[in-house]
This record gives sequence, C-alpha cells and structure tokens, in this order.
Amino acid sequence: MIGSNGRMVKRSRTRYERRKELIAYSFLAPNFIGFAVFTLVPVLFSIYLSFVKWKGGAFSTMEWVGLGNYTEIFKTAKVAEKGLGYLFTKVDLGIALKNTVFYTLVTVPLTLVCAIALALALNRAVKGAVGFRTVFFFPYVASMVAICVCWRFMMMKDGPINQFLMALGSGYNKSWTADSTMAIWSIILVSVWRNMGYYMVIYLAALQGVPADLYEAATMDGANKAQQFFHVTLPQLRPTTFFASTMLIISCFKIYDVVAIMTEGGPGRSTKMLVTYIYDEAFTNFNYGTASAIAMVLLVIVLIFTLAQFSTESKYANN
Amino acid sequence: MKKALALVLAMILLLCSASFAVAEDAKTLTVVAWDAGTTPYLAAQKEAFEASHPGVTLEYIDVASQDYAKKTSTMLSGGDTSDVFMVKEITDLLNWQAAGYEEPLNSYIEASGYDLSGFAGIESNYAVDGEQYALPFRSDFWVLYYNKDLFDAAGVDYPTNDMTWEQYAELAKKMTDADKGIYGTHYHTWLSAVVNWDVCDGVNTLIDGNYDDLAYFYELYQDLEDAGACMPYNELKAAGLHYSAAFENGNIAMLPMGYWFVSTLIGAIKDGTCSFNWGIVAVPHKEDVAAGSSFGNLTGAMINAKSANKDLAWEYISWLAGEEGALATASTGTRPAWVSDAVASAMASADGFPTDEASKAALIPTAVSVEIPASEHSSEISTVLNEEHSLIMTRESTIEEGIAEMNERVAEILG
Repeated sequence: MIGSNGRMVKRSRTRYERRKELIAYSFLAPNFIGFAVFTLVPVLFSIYLSFVKWKGGAFSTMEWVGLGNYTEIFKTAKVAEKGLGYLFTKVDLGIALKNTVFYTLVTVPLTLVCAIALALALNRAVKGAVGFRTVFFFPYVASMVAICVCWRFMMMKDGPINQFLMALGSGYNKSWTADSTMAIWSIILVSVWRNMGYYMVIYLAALQGVPADLYEAATMDGANKAQQFFHVTLPQLRPTTFFASTMLIISCFKIYDVVAIMTEGGPGRSTKMLVTYIYDEAFTNFNYGTASAIAMVLLVIVLIFTLAQFSTESKYANN
Repeated sequence: MKKALALVLAMILLLCSASFAVAEDAKTLTVVAWDAGTTPYLAAQKEAFEASHPGVTLEYIDVASQDYAKKTSTMLSGGDTSDVFMVKEITDLLNWQAAGYEEPLNSYIEASGYDLSGFAGIESNYAVDGEQYALPFRSDFWVLYYNKDLFDAAGVDYPTNDMTWEQYAELAKKMTDADKGIYGTHYHTWLSAVVNWDVCDGVNTLIDGNYDDLAYFYELYQDLEDAGACMPYNELKAAGLHYSAAFENGNIAMLPMGYWFVSTLIGAIKDGTCSFNWGIVAVPHKEDVAAGSSFGNLTGAMINAKSANKDLAWEYISWLAGEEGALATASTGTRPAWVSDAVASAMASADGFPTDEASKAALIPTAVSVEIPASEHSSEISTVLNEEHSLIMTRESTIEEGIAEMNERVAEILG
C-alpha cells in the first residue's frame, strides 16, 4: 500500500490473512495441478518435440533438427520453387489447412443461423416446446460413432437423402462420402446438425435476457417483426453470438471424430483435416516431430481466436 | 485420529502389494491380439498352451482388427506393460523396433538353442540388422475362395489352380446373375485386394516408386464393376460391409482373400452362420507369371520391452511359433509359419477344410511375395497409395491420373 508520504510501505500481513490466502490456494491447487500435469507439460513437451526428429521410444533417440520439421511440413523448398498454389494443391499440410478453413467458414455461420432460428421458434409458447428442445439438443449428447454411421447410410448412393433429392428433381446419385466434392459437405452437414442444439440452448437463455420494453418501444415506433429482429434482437444477442462463434471456430479447427468415422480423410485427401493429419503423422507414420510441428500450427490458430475471445469478453464486461 | 488414518492407509498399501503378489503367483500372461473373441485359432492356441503349461493363464487383450495398428501403437507409446503383442504388419514391427518397444530376441534364441529352420527363412522378415524382434506363427498368402453350390447351380466348372486373370474375369461375368442377386466375384475395399497381385512376379514391390503396372489390375476391376460382376466400391465403403459377411451371405461366387479367412469360414459354417460348400484354389496369375504365385503377410508375436514377465513371454512365443503351437494353429484351418510334415497333414485334415484335391494342392503355393516390404518409408508410402487408391476406386481420378499421382508423391517421399 501507499503510505501518507507517498512511499510504498510494506505492511506485515496478519496470520489470519495468510491463512485465508493459503485456503484459497489449496482450493485452486487440485485444478491447477491437473492442468499442469495433463495440459501444460504435454503442450510444452509438444513444443519441444516439434524441433526434434523422434520415432518414439527412449528420449535419447531424439535428434535436434531446429526448424527442420516446419520446413518439411510446409515443403518450403518446393513451395518457393513452384509458388503458393503448390502448397494448397499438393502439400499435405496445405490441403489440410485449406479443408479445415473451408469447413470452419461454412460450418460456423450455418450453425449460428440454425441455432438462432431454432431458438426463436422455440422461445414462444409453442405446444410441446420442451419436447422439441430436447429433440434438438439430443444429437449433442448422443454417441458420435452411432450418429456418423447412420448418416453414412443415409448418404449412400441409393440412400434416403439422395432419394429425397431425386424426388425434388436432382440428378445426383453417388455416395456423398465417396465423392471428393460432396464428402466435405457431408461432414459439414453432420457437424451443423450435431452442434445447433447446443447453441440453441445458449441462444434461448440469451433471448430471455432481452428486455421486453425494447420490443414495446419498437412496436410503438411502428417497426415490423423483421425490423424488430434485425434492430432489437440481433444487437442484443451480440455478446452471445461472439462467444458462440469463437467457441465454434475453435472446435471446428479441432474437428476429428466426424471425419474419422465418415470418410477417414478421403476420398484421396479431400477431407483431410489438421487433426486427422496430426494423427496419421504421429500414430501411423510415427513421425512425432512433424506431427508436433503440425500441432503447433493448429495451436497458433486456436490461440489467436482464444485471445480475441478473451479481450473482447473483457470489453463487454467493462461496458 | 491421525494415527488411525495412517494405519488405514498402510493397510490399503499392504493389501495392494499383497494382491500384486497373488497375481504374480498365478502367472498371467497378457497378450494383445485382434478380434480375440471371434478368431478360432487364438482360442485353440490358448487351450493348448494352458494345457501344456499348468499354472499359467493366457489373457487376450482384444483390439478390433481395423484399429489394430493405431490402437497398439498408441498403447505402446503410452508405456503399456502387456507382455506380448501380436504383430499384424511388418511395417508395425519396424516402427516399433525403431521406437524401442520390442525386446531383442537373439539372446533368448541362443540361450534356449531354439531351432529356426522350421520357418524356412521366412523369419528373416522380422529381423533388423541381424537381430530377431519377433517370431512368426502364421504365414498367410492369398487364395481364391469359391462357393461350390453356386457353381453347381449354374452348371459352370469350378475355378482351377491355373487360371489367368482374363479367364478369371470371364468366369466372374459368367457367374453373375443380376436377377438372382448373384455376384461373380467380390473385392474388398483394400488396396491389397485389388492391385497387390502386381507383386506376385517377385520383381515388383509396392515401395519401388513405379506404379504403372497397377493399371492392369485397376482396369480389370473397373471392367468387372461396370459389368455388375462385383459390388461397387462406393457402396461397400458407405455400408462398411466386411468381406466375411459378404461371402457368407451366399450370393458371391468367388472371393480373392487371405488364407486367414479359411478358419473364419470353417467357424461360420460350424456355428450355422452360413451353410454352403466351398473350396479354395490358387489366385489367378498374369500370363508371364507362374501359376500358384501369390503374395502374403506374416503374423507374429513380439515381447514388449516393458513386460515384467519376459522369460515367460519368451516361453510363450517360442512355443507358439514352434511345432506344438503350429499344430494348434493348424487344427483350426489356419496356416502356421512353421512347416513340417506333421503340420502340413494337420492343415489338410482340419475339421471343415474342403476335401477336394484342388483345395489341398492350393495349400502349397509356388511362390509367395511379401505384400509390402518393410522399409523406412513403408507406412508413408502406404498412406499415399491408399489415398490415391480411394480416388481411383471412387472414380474421382482416372486410373492414369491416380497412378501418375502415386508415382509423383512416392518419388517425393523417396527423395
């Protein structure tokens, strides 16, 4: 604290205060120890691994290669020679990045739009609203393996989805997961369907917090329903939308389960994602070094969005 | 209060160590294997081993076959202490060896005076720089299975041990009957089921960087698929249909598949899953390759370097790979790696094995090449080949484009 003469004065803390502090730390400790052992140490280890060549086994077999793993995954020599197009059409990392970004760019807005629409529909006193909410939330808690296998069947050549599309006049008859163009859409569709229920619940909660007098005022001013939605509801939901989109972006970049079950990254490399690529490098090819380097690329991307989320969150909190 | 707590803790510790001691006394050997619940030879081996080794219990840790490489590698890298791991692919063995997960076996072989001659040299595929890392107990090569009942019903002669691929394709089309839902042949989705035949000449390998020759087999396949003589790849992939379920359904005339399927099929007929007469013949061959040439894989067992029961583990794998284990393996219709007269006659007389002469003759192949030889880059090359394979099979790439990509991408790996 600052004394009356403006100089720092060290105040001896009472035993009571120290004790209170210790109690607080002891409550934090279990969580922090868990974080340190199971998250912090592996992350630090993985950063180190990205600079060595290692096939697993004894630590003594690690060989320091500096940035070698990074130049290898980005194929820097080849890319410098053949241009950036080569990175995104031929190099595994480029293809995985391109696929992951595309998947994220489509999945995030689509999920949010569906979630808001569902939340608005179920926010009224509809008959059976609770039942519907449960139905839409269900995919989020159901087993992904079972869900994905079902969807794979539905998207078969003569499956229900193609039959439905055919009835609408589409001439498409291929298995979605066996078509390089459609395979990624099959993953997007399943992801949106699975996530929208969760974000619907978040939006439902947020909708309860929109003050009713705002709508009253808008009605007095002659705003119709659409104008009310765009000028009252959406702006009021902005903090929620920001939170939801950041969480979604992060989870989209980490997509693995749906891909592993539906397409295994195929056909070819058309649904290869960053995490499936990491998995293949680490556990099929045993290149822990390059796998960790790819993981670092993913870490940086996710970190950027997390920091953006944190800083904006504190802004909302201060207002 | 504190004293009481300390006492309770001490008791718990004591109990824990006591239960460990008991476990050690009963001698349980843990063996990581795939499809342990449904593979008959594993059950036969366990029974025979436990009978000849009183006081030892064999405990299989079951891993689904399609996840075996990934799951076991994850287990080993996580420091798993299971005593023995079955080796499914030679590439796994090589990766595990490089990672130091495998106990070197030369000292055990010397100490026990173990005779390797029964393997006829095939065990060298499990050696790295002169050091043996696993012992083979199965050596499967690919044969052509056929459903005798379908051939009888159609009044068509059975396949023979000397057919060219053209003759085989013709036969497949002849046996196809769309009205009755009968397919002439069946290709599982693997690369090996469709084009691995290229290595049967003993010259080509899948790691040599030149894949132009695969075009012949892709064309053969696409011709059959277009003719409706086999189920389309896309449907198999989407439905995740297993080849055993497909063949056991009884509407498939021929199936090129590894020898391991013999024991599955015998089992399926015994338990009533299916009921038809079947036989095996040698796989077809190209004009310029000797009849009876095939490719195959070794299956073996290795000792985990982290095992606490290494001596017992050696006792087990040396028994398993040797003549006694081979007899137990052969009794279920599985082909052991150890070959002696006793083993050969046991194979042919296995309960449920077809009794015709052609099937017996197919037991002895002219030459067997390795499916994919072990090398530093085998797994990376496999990944690339499988990715391009899926593009060709789904017709997303033409055969030429796909093979050109294989050549280009593998050249990059080989540097």
